[in-house]
Amino acid sequence: MRLTQLLLLSCALLLLVFVNVRTGWNMGAWFSANPLSASTAFNRVASTGSVTGLLKILGLTGFVQDSNHRPSPTFEDDVLPILADHCIACHGSEIQEGMLDLRTVTSILQGGENGHGIVRGDPRSSLLLDMIVRKQMPPAELGSLTDEQVSIIRRWILAGIPAQEAIVELPPRTMISAEDRNFWAFQKPVRAPLPLVHHEQRVRTPIDRFVLGHLEAVRCTFAPDADRATLLRRAHLDLVGIPPSPEELNDFLTDEQPNAWERVLDRLLESPHYGERWGRHWMDAVGYVDNRLFDGDLRTIYPNEGIWRFRDYIVDSLNNDKPYNQFLTEQLAGDQMVSWQNAQNLTPEMREKLIATGFFRSIEDATSEPQYGIAKRYDVLFDTMTMLGSSVMGLTMECCRCHNHKFDPLFQRDYYRLMAILEPALNPHDWKKPQDRWLADVSPKRRRQIDKYNALVQQQIDELTRQRKAAESVGQSVLQGLASQIEKLEMSKQGYGKIQALWDVGETPQSRILRRGQVEAAGVIVQPGFPEILARDIQAVTASKSTANDSTGLRLALAQWLTDREHPLTARVIVNRVWQHHFGQGIVATPGNFGRTGSPPTHPQLLDWLAIDFVEHGWSLKRLHKLIMTSTTYRQSSSVVVEPDVDQRHETWLLAAMPLRRMQSEIIRDSILAVSGRLDLTPGGPPIMITNPVDGLSREEQNPEPTSHLRRSLYLFARRVYPLKFMEIFDSPIMPINCTQRMTSTSVLQSFTQLNDSFMLDNAAATAGRVRAQAGENVTEQVRSAFRIILSRNPHRKEVQRCAEFLESQDKLYSDSGRQSLTDLCHMLLCTNEFLYIN
Amino acid sequence: MFASFNRRDMLIQSGLGFGSLALAGLLTEQRLLGAAQSTLVTDLMPRYGHRPAKAKAIIQLFQNGGPSQMDLFDEKPELTRRNGEAHPGEVETFQLGNRNILLKSPFRFQPHGECGMNLGETIPGIASIADDICLIRSMHTENNNHPFAINMLQSGKTFAGHPAMGSWVCYALGSENHNLPGYVVLRDPAGYNTSGKMVWSSGWLPSLYQGTEFSSGGVPVHHLSRPDSVSEQARSRSLQLLADLNRRHKKQYPGNSELDARIQNFELTARMQMEATDVLNVSQESKAIRADYGLDNPTTAAYGLRCLMARRLVENGVRFVQVFPPLKPSFQPWDNHNNLEEGLREICAQVDGPSSALIKDLKQRGLLDDVIVQWTGEFGRLPITENANGRDHNRHAFSLFLAGGGFRPGHQIGATDEFGYAAVEDRISVPDLHATLLHQLGIDHTQLSYVHRGRAERLTDPEVTHARVVEEIVI
Repeated sequence: MRLTQLLLLSCALLLLVFVNVRTGWNMGAWFSANPLSASTAFNRVASTGSVTGLLKILGLTGFVQDSNHRPSPTFEDDVLPILADHCIACHGSEIQEGMLDLRTVTSILQGGENGHGIVRGDPRSSLLLDMIVRKQMPPAELGSLTDEQVSIIRRWILAGIPAQEAIVELPPRTMISAEDRNFWAFQKPVRAPLPLVHHEQRVRTPIDRFVLGHLEAVRCTFAPDADRATLLRRAHLDLVGIPPSPEELNDFLTDEQPNAWERVLDRLLESPHYGERWGRHWMDAVGYVDNRLFDGDLRTIYPNEGIWRFRDYIVDSLNNDKPYNQFLTEQLAGDQMVSWQNAQNLTPEMREKLIATGFFRSIEDATSEPQYGIAKRYDVLFDTMTMLGSSVMGLTMECCRCHNHKFDPLFQRDYYRLMAILEPALNPHDWKKPQDRWLADVSPKRRRQIDKYNALVQQQIDELTRQRKAAESVGQSVLQGLASQIEKLEMSKQGYGKIQALWDVGETPQSRILRRGQVEAAGVIVQPGFPEILARDIQAVTASKSTANDSTGLRLALAQWLTDREHPLTARVIVNRVWQHHFGQGIVATPGNFGRTGSPPTHPQLLDWLAIDFVEHGWSLKRLHKLIMTSTTYRQSSSVVVEPDVDQRHETWLLAAMPLRRMQSEIIRDSILAVSGRLDLTPGGPPIMITNPVDGLSREEQNPEPTSHLRRSLYLFARRVYPLKFMEIFDSPIMPINCTQRMTSTSVLQSFTQLNDSFMLDNAAATAGRVRAQAGENVTEQVRSAFRIILSRNPHRKEVQRCAEFLESQDKLYSDSGRQSLTDLCHMLLCTNEFLYIN
Repeated sequence: MFASFNRRDMLIQSGLGFGSLALAGLLTEQRLLGAAQSTLVTDLMPRYGHRPAKAKAIIQLFQNGGPSQMDLFDEKPELTRRNGEAHPGEVETFQLGNRNILLKSPFRFQPHGECGMNLGETIPGIASIADDICLIRSMHTENNNHPFAINMLQSGKTFAGHPAMGSWVCYALGSENHNLPGYVVLRDPAGYNTSGKMVWSSGWLPSLYQGTEFSSGGVPVHHLSRPDSVSEQARSRSLQLLADLNRRHKKQYPGNSELDARIQNFELTARMQMEATDVLNVSQESKAIRADYGLDNPTTAAYGLRCLMARRLVENGVRFVQVFPPLKPSFQPWDNHNNLEEGLREICAQVDGPSSALIKDLKQRGLLDDVIVQWTGEFGRLPITENANGRDHNRHAFSLFLAGGGFRPGHQIGATDEFGYAAVEDRISVPDLHATLLHQLGIDHTQLSYVHRGRAERLTDPEVTHARVVEEIVI
C-alpha cells in the first residue's frame, strides 16, 4: 500500500472518530441494531450515508479490503462454506425460501422476492449482508454468523464478488405470472376496430358505435334524444355547475342554425366556470382541504395558509385546458421541473410549478405535536401513497403496505419502492413539520433578504419598545412619538405569501420495506422504483439528477413514467373519471380500483379507444368533454319506459338511457343561489370562512365582502371533517384522505333542510322577487317564469293549471297580494326531485 | 339496482353470509358486486340477523378520555403498598410529563351486591346495580392516543374513515321505527367530544346508516320545525303541491326507488316532527323518574336528560343510541393527566347516577331483556405518576361494563397485573367485544360484510384480529 493512501485512510478514520465524538453516535451500533428501533435511529442512518459518501470522495472504496494485507475472499473458497453451513438448507436445491437460492453467485445476484441479493462492490446496499448484520437471518434459533464470517462476506462484496464461476447477470426473480400480465388493466390499451351497428342513423361519434354495439347485442337500442331544454340544463350543470338562465334557454330553443348544440358546448367549455366545476372533481380526487392537521374539534379550525393557491392552480389549469400529462407532471414534480432554489426572482412559471405540488399537501399530518414520533411521519407517507394510488393510478396500493396484495400482482416491495420515490421529499429522517413545509412566493434568495431586513427593523422596534417602557414615566408626547415611530417601522416590514409545496429535504434517505407496515419492523433496503407489473422489471429508477435543479429528480421520473404514452393506466384512469362525472358511473365503476377486485369495465374497447384517442390528441380534457357530449349516448333522454323483458340493469350499465343523477352538494347550493339571482361569481382567492357554532349549524361568513357568503361552494373553507352543514347534509365527503367517488344518501334530514333551512327560505323569497320582476302580477305568467328560472324549462299546461290554483288558494291564507304564496311556489319548485336531479 | 339489496336481505335471512358469498363470488359475481358499490339503494327496513337475537338494541354510554380502571373498577392493593416506588417493568407512556413512580388510588374500594363486585367509592350508583352488570377488567386496545383509540373502539380500526359499529348494526338490521332514524346520537349540546362526528360516521357504508344527531338542548333535530312564518295549513298545501309535482316527475322514472324515497321522506317530515318531538318530550315522564335520572339536580340534569332520551328512543324502536358524556371538565372528561382525584370526582358526580338510573329503569320496565347498555371508554390509564397527581394513557388495560341483552348479570371477568398496567387474565380485545355485541344482536361477525374497494370489509376483520365471541360473559 502506498503511503499517500495510508495517509488518506488515517484522515478518513480520524474524521469518522470526530463525527462520532461530536454527535455521540456509537459506531458499533451502525450495523448491529435495527436502525429504526431506537430514538436516534435516523441519525445513525444518515451518518452511515454521509460516511460512505466521504469514503467515496476520498477515493478509498477501492482498496479498503486490502488494508490488512489479506487477499480478497473468493466465493468458492471463503463465502460458499459459510452459506453452506448456515443458509443453504432453506435457500438451496430443495427449498428456496423467499424464492432465494444461495448456491451460486449468479443466483445470489439475481436474488429472491425482495430483489437482487447483492450489489457488486456495495455491501451497504446488499440485501444478503443487510439481513445477516441486522440478525434477521439466519433465524435466531439457528444461531448467527460470527463477526469474522460477516467480515468475510462484506470484504467479498467490496472486492467485487470474485469467483471462479462464470457469473451471468439475470433480471430479478418475478412473482408475476403470465395470467397476471394478461389482466386487462396491466396491458396497454389496444385500439379495436369500430363496431358495425344496425341503427347506423343513431351514430354520431365513435363512442356511439361501442355503446350501441353492446345494446344491440341484448336487442336494445338508444333511448330517443332528450329535448333541447333538458339537454341544455344537463350540459350547464355538467360543465359549469349552474343551470342555464331563461335567456340562455330561449337562445338555444330558438337557435335554428346548424351545430347549435356544438356551439353551446363551446360556449360552456370557454366559460371560466368550467374550471370551477371540474376543479372540484379533481379536488375530491386529491383530497383537497383548507385545513391542516386532523379536524377533530368542531370549534377549532387550523388553516393551511396559502393552500388555496393550489385550488386556483387547478381551476386555472383546467380553464386553460392544460394537457393532462403536463397537469399531472407539475403536481407530482413541479419543484423538480424548474431551478427555483438559486433563482434571483421567482418567475411566474416557477411559482406555478411550486404551487402545483400542493397536490401532496392536503394529507393529514399530525407531526406538529411534540409527542408524535417517527410513526406519524410514516402515516403521512402511507396516506399519500393511498391518495396517489387511488387518484392517479387506479390501484389499491395501500393493501401492500403490510403484505403482498391478495388479488393483484402488487407486492410489498413495489409499495416501498414506489414510496422511496416520495421519501426524499417526505423524508422521515429529515422531517419538516407541516407548519414549516411551505415556501415563500418569492425566491429563497429574496426571502432571506426580506427576513434579514425585517429582523433589522424588528431590532429597532425592540429598542424603541424598550425606550418607550423606560419613558412611561416621562411625558405623553415622548410616548406618542415613540409609538408612531414603532408603527412606521412595523409598516415598513416586507412580506411574502405562503406556498404549500413539496420539495426534497436533506440527504436522500435509504428506504426499507416495513414488515407488517410497522415502523419498528424495518426490513430490507429498497431502491426507488415502479410497480413491477407496470414497469416490466424492478430496476431502480434512473432519475436524471438535474444539474440545474438541486433535487433527486425522482418524482419527475415518476411523472414521466406515468405520462408515458404506453402506460397502461394513467390515460384510462382519467378518461374513466371524466366519463364517471358525465354519466354518474365510470366505464370502470370503481374509479380508484382498476385491479381484480374493482369492477371490470362495462365497455372495455370503448375505454381503450377513449384512452388512446385522448393521448393522441394531446391529453386535452376539453376535447374529451366535447367528444363525449356530442355523442348520441350523452344526448339520450333519461326517461325511458323500460320494456318488461329488458333487464333493468341495462339502463345503468349499457346506457340504454341517460342515467338520472342527483346533483352534488356544491351544485345544489350553487344552483339555488344562481336561481335566486344572488350568486356571487367572484373567482379565486383565500377561502371564505365558515362559522363553527356549538350546535354544528355552520354558515358562510359575510366576510371580507358583504356578498362573500354567496360565493361558489368551492371557495368556501373546505374542512376535512366539518364541511358547511348544508353541504354536509347533501353528502359533501369527509376527507380522511381523498374521495374517488361520492356517496349519495337519501335521508330525511335532507328533506327537513330543504323545507325549513333559512338558506332555502331566503333564496325562495329572492327567487320569487326575480319571478315577479319578470312576470308581473299575472299568475299564469308567474308560473311560467318560475319554471323557466328554477327548472330551466317551460311548464306543461297541467302544471300551469295546478300551480296557478296553488297560488290562488295559498294567497287566501296570507292576503299579502300574492307575495308569500309566490315564495311558497318557488320554495316547492326548489324542493322538487326535478330540481335536485340532473335528468 | 334493487337486486343487490334484496339479495343481501335474502342472504342474511337464509343464514348465508353476504361476506362469505362476496368472497367466494368474487370471480363470478364481479359485475353485480361492482355495481352494487356504485349504485346502492339502501333502506332501514327491519331485518333479521343470522341467528335468533338476544337483544334488539344497544345504548352506548361512551365515556371518552380514558376512565381510570385502578380508581374505578380494578382495585390494586400492590399499587397502594408500593406507592412511590418505581414500576419494575417497562411502561409505555404517551405524554412527556410522566415519572416512573407508582401512584396509588386515592379512593376506597368495597364489595357490592350479592356478587361482591369490588368498586371504587366515586361510583355509588353503579355499585348499587352491581348485580345487574357484567364487568370486564381485562380489555386492551391498539393505540394510546385518543382519536386512534376512539376509532378502534367505535369502528374496529385505528385509522379514521371506517363505519361506526352503530352504522354496521343498522346496515345489518335496519330500524324498527319508520318515523325515526335507526342510529341516534345524543351529545352535550355545548359541543362535540373528541373526534366530533367522526365517531358516528358511516365511513364508506351508505350515509343512510350514519348516526343522526338529536340535540338534547334546544331543538332535537336541525330544521325539524317549520319556521314560524309558515302556518301548518300553508305548509300542508305546499307539501301537497310538492307531492303532485314529484309524482308527475316520477312517472318518467318508474324504476327509480330513490325518487320514491324522497317523496316518502317529505311525507315523513310531518310524522317525524310529531314523533320525534313526542319521543323526546321527557316532560311526559313522572316526577319520580325525572328525579331518578337526576333531572332536578344541576350537576346531573344534562347527562340524565340524555340517558332518559336514550331510553325513550330504544323504547320506540331505535336500534342504536350513542350517548356522549359531559364536556366538563373537558371534551375528554375522563382524561385525568393531573389532579386525578378532583377530576374523577367531578365527572363521576355527573355520570354515575344517571348511568345507573337508566339501567334500573330499563330493568323495571322489562326492557333490559332486549336492550344492551354498554358503558365504556377508549382505553385505560397508567399506574405511574404524571404531573405529580395524574395518570397518562394506557392501551394495555381498561375496564368496562355491559348490562342487559343477555350479558351475564353480576359477572366479573378478567384481571390485570399487580399494578393494573396490563390485562393478563382472560384478555379481551376490542374486536372480541364487537364480535360479542353483534352475537347478542343475532349477527355472526364473520359473516356481516360490505365490499369496499374490492375487499369484503367486516367490523371485526377476524382473519387479522382473530376476534372471537366471548362466550363466558353471555348467558
